[in-house]
Amino acid sequence: MRQPMDLLQGTLDVLILRTLVWGPMHGYAVSRWIRDRTEDTLQIEDAPLYKALHRLEKAEWVTAQWGLSENNRRARFYRLTPAGRKQLKAEEAAWRSYAKAVFQVLEPA
Amino acid sequence: MIRRLFQYPWRSHAVIRSDVDDELRFHLDSRQQALMATGLSVDAARARAIREFGDIDEARRYMQHVDNDIETNRRRKDYVRDVMYDLKYALRSLRVSPTFTIVAVLTLAIGIGANTAVFSVVHGVLRQPLPFPNPERLVRVWSANRSGDSPKASVSAVDLDDWRAQRRQFEDIGGWEFASGASGLDLTGSGQPQRVSTAFVSPGFFTTLGVGALHGRLPYESEMVRGGDDRVVVLSFPYWQRNFGASTTVLNTTLILRGEPYRVVGVMPPNFRFPSPSVEIYVPFSTIPDQSIPRIRPVRIMGVVARLKPNVTLDQARAEMNVITGRLAAQYPENATWTHATVLPLHEAITGSVQNALLVLFAAVTGVLLMACVNVASLVLTRASAREREIGVRVALGATRGRILRQLVTESMVLALAGGVLGIGVAVVGTRVLLALSAGQLPLSEAVGVNPTVLLFALGASLFAGILFGAAPALRASSTNLQGALRAGGRTSTGASTRLRSALVIAQVAFAVVLAVGAGLTTRSFNALLHVDPGFTPDHLLAVNFTINTDRHGDTAWKQYYSDVITRVRAVPGVTSAGAAQYAPFKGMGERNALVPVGYVARPGEEPPAFPTQRISDAYFRTIGTRILSGREFLPTDRGNAPPVVVVNEAYAKAFFPGQNAVGKELTVGGSGRLTIVGVVGDIRQSDVAEAPGPLLYVSNLQNGRVKVTLVCRTVADPLTMTRSIRDAIWSVDRDQPITSIFTFNDIMQETLARPRLVTVLFAAFGVLGLTLGALGIYGVLAFLVTQRRREIGVRIALGANARRVYAMIMRHGVGMAIAGLVIGISAALALSRFVQSLLFGIPATDPYSYAGVVLLFLFVATLAGLLPARRAMRVDPVIAMQQE
Repeated sequence: MRQPMDLLQGTLDVLILRTLVWGPMHGYAVSRWIRDRTEDTLQIEDAPLYKALHRLEKAEWVTAQWGLSENNRRARFYRLTPAGRKQLKAEEAAWRSYAKAVFQVLEPA
Repeated sequence: MIRRLFQYPWRSHAVIRSDVDDELRFHLDSRQQALMATGLSVDAARARAIREFGDIDEARRYMQHVDNDIETNRRRKDYVRDVMYDLKYALRSLRVSPTFTIVAVLTLAIGIGANTAVFSVVHGVLRQPLPFPNPERLVRVWSANRSGDSPKASVSAVDLDDWRAQRRQFEDIGGWEFASGASGLDLTGSGQPQRVSTAFVSPGFFTTLGVGALHGRLPYESEMVRGGDDRVVVLSFPYWQRNFGASTTVLNTTLILRGEPYRVVGVMPPNFRFPSPSVEIYVPFSTIPDQSIPRIRPVRIMGVVARLKPNVTLDQARAEMNVITGRLAAQYPENATWTHATVLPLHEAITGSVQNALLVLFAAVTGVLLMACVNVASLVLTRASAREREIGVRVALGATRGRILRQLVTESMVLALAGGVLGIGVAVVGTRVLLALSAGQLPLSEAVGVNPTVLLFALGASLFAGILFGAAPALRASSTNLQGALRAGGRTSTGASTRLRSALVIAQVAFAVVLAVGAGLTTRSFNALLHVDPGFTPDHLLAVNFTINTDRHGDTAWKQYYSDVITRVRAVPGVTSAGAAQYAPFKGMGERNALVPVGYVARPGEEPPAFPTQRISDAYFRTIGTRILSGREFLPTDRGNAPPVVVVNEAYAKAFFPGQNAVGKELTVGGSGRLTIVGVVGDIRQSDVAEAPGPLLYVSNLQNGRVKVTLVCRTVADPLTMTRSIRDAIWSVDRDQPITSIFTFNDIMQETLARPRLVTVLFAAFGVLGLTLGALGIYGVLAFLVTQRRREIGVRIALGANARRVYAMIMRHGVGMAIAGLVIGISAALALSRFVQSLLFGIPATDPYSYAGVVLLFLFVATLAGLLPARRAMRVDPVIAMQQE
């Protein structure tokens, strides 16, 4: 019964945006952060994560800039834009109502 | 500009590729290290990091692709933002100097608008295809005689039938008989008698043109020939609208024309205006009785149009027509001299008469646009010099040369497009004015309008103007020497700038001189026309045009009716004199008759000369005020049974009886019948006021009559107030007499002068415009000069220079420019003069008075333009001038 769920379309985008709320992060940090919190449930590969980061940049929800990592290496940092923040809010609300609907079906009062 | 400095540089494809690689490498290295920290070997850690990542190659390609898209978008946005920025900057800097902006935009609007208006006419008349299917295959055909002095003669109906029967390279050939204001049929039986303007058309007329009926049908071939059921009529669209309320119930009804019933078979579409927009109905030529137009070869009255078969060239068509006419000339003695045919594309045949005038006009108006550009360029240059410091600052702040150039070009384009938009307004009005001025003289004018092509032209003209007046200043300004500009406070390169501006002004004066010479020539030519003696006194003359119906009044008795009408009109109070002719001056020449002195022998092979012959009443010359040089004019007694008499004009008398009194001499046609000359009268300009009169003959309408009558009355009061009483006098003889038209002789003078007046008005307008622009140009450059050299002038004055010498220095510069422009302009005008010769009357295109007048005028204007700046220079206060530094 504990089969890892396939990532739903668009879910990854929300997770990334949510992650970046804490501040600018490079791709590896985003990957670790999401993995640390979902390791048991979600099986996320890094390839779709990076693709999503660039896609979000194109959508202007995040901006990217080169900076220095904790160990002083050149890393690409992503930062949430105001538009991205707005998008995250909208997605969150959609998610909550979706989840609520699903739960209402699964746990009839 | 500032923002640009802090912007990320653009990333190339290569940079994007290496950035993506770096990002991926950083991830894998970081993961590998983390895994090694948990005790994995280097290789195992690397392998796991790669496994966890998934499809690296696919991800890399995807990321590069997306990044390239991002970059493209960014560049596009940057570009748009730069343009918007340039636009905003341009608008702001134009707002800051409203005088400059208004003058520049107005100048451009006039230039572009005038050009566009003329283009819309040129385009509509010369470029628009004729409203027939495959119009390029239509040609007009004329008879031409052997000697070549009559290359465009009308065609006889008999010849036309032969042409049509013998054609091989032509799909069809058709002919018509129509003279505007003269060809018509009387419509009775429905209200007031009405004269309907009628084109009499041959079989093949409609099929050649290839246009079908809008309603109903075209007449069948069998309905357009003798012996067929040819009493049919086709209505023109406007006539149908006007008289039958655009109702199709009129089809198959009958109209009473010339007292006979005609069946209405069809209505033509609205754009069918051939051979003239004034045609109201089309009736088969076969309905014209022989006594009106005999069906013999010497009676040449038809216009002919033909359609070439596909892929037949004009040369082939000409060759075939010459073969056919040559054959007929050999076959029929009366055709012996009509050995050739002239074939011209129909479009050329229709517009040929105005083509030259329109192209000259277009050239002139293009000159005005160029002048406008030069003037605006000069204004922009002044501004550029004043802005050298501003530009220097921007260069210092890091603006590239290209960036500055783009900014200046944007400014020019904004000006040009603003001028263009306003110019379209000018063009809409201008086109209307042009059409009103040229009413009745411009063929195909219905095709003229401000349409998308014309708007496109206006846009093109604006862009062209923008580039023209923007380029030189922009290039100069963008090469501004930064150091110099900052140090000298914007006073560098004054010499070069003044030289460039002077060159521009000289070019402008040269253009203006050409236009002014054109205005001078046309004005003098028009003045000459106004002072031409037409051979009659047009004031207080009223003409009434009508045709006598012989069915109604009898084949011989109609002459009595004719006399009765004239007698009755003479009795009208306020009419001092009345007479009649077949055609009023400028309205028609009359048939040509080979009336020569008895004993005259034509040279062998030469056709006997033929001269236009008018049929007139008694007292005609007295009525219109023509001098009788010797003998007498016709009397009421010169009627049928009296000895046949003729009156000749001075030109005829001089040609055949030089140095003798022509009165009493006898004339004859081919030896049969003799007419005695009873009088010689002064020459009347019968065909056109600009055309020198040739030999003319007059015969008494009571002896050799025609039913077309132009009754002329000399009145005491304004002739138009007499219209009603004169018409009533005619109707008191026959209340069913349709009147074709009523006009005054001053009207026809105006009509015949309309084209030269139009040309004169247009050239004068251009001349004034050119002169104004030229004067403004000289003034501008001198004012600039004084401002730029203020300091130098101050020094001179401080060193004791005479104020008068300062004054003279500025004046010299202005007059110098004018002289240089005059030399170039006069040379150009002389070189162009042969193109305007055809527009001129009575003076050569090299008329010295026109040229001298222009020279004096320009010297005067240049002096005037220099006056203000020169006085300012004289008053320069050396102390203030030097403190300004």
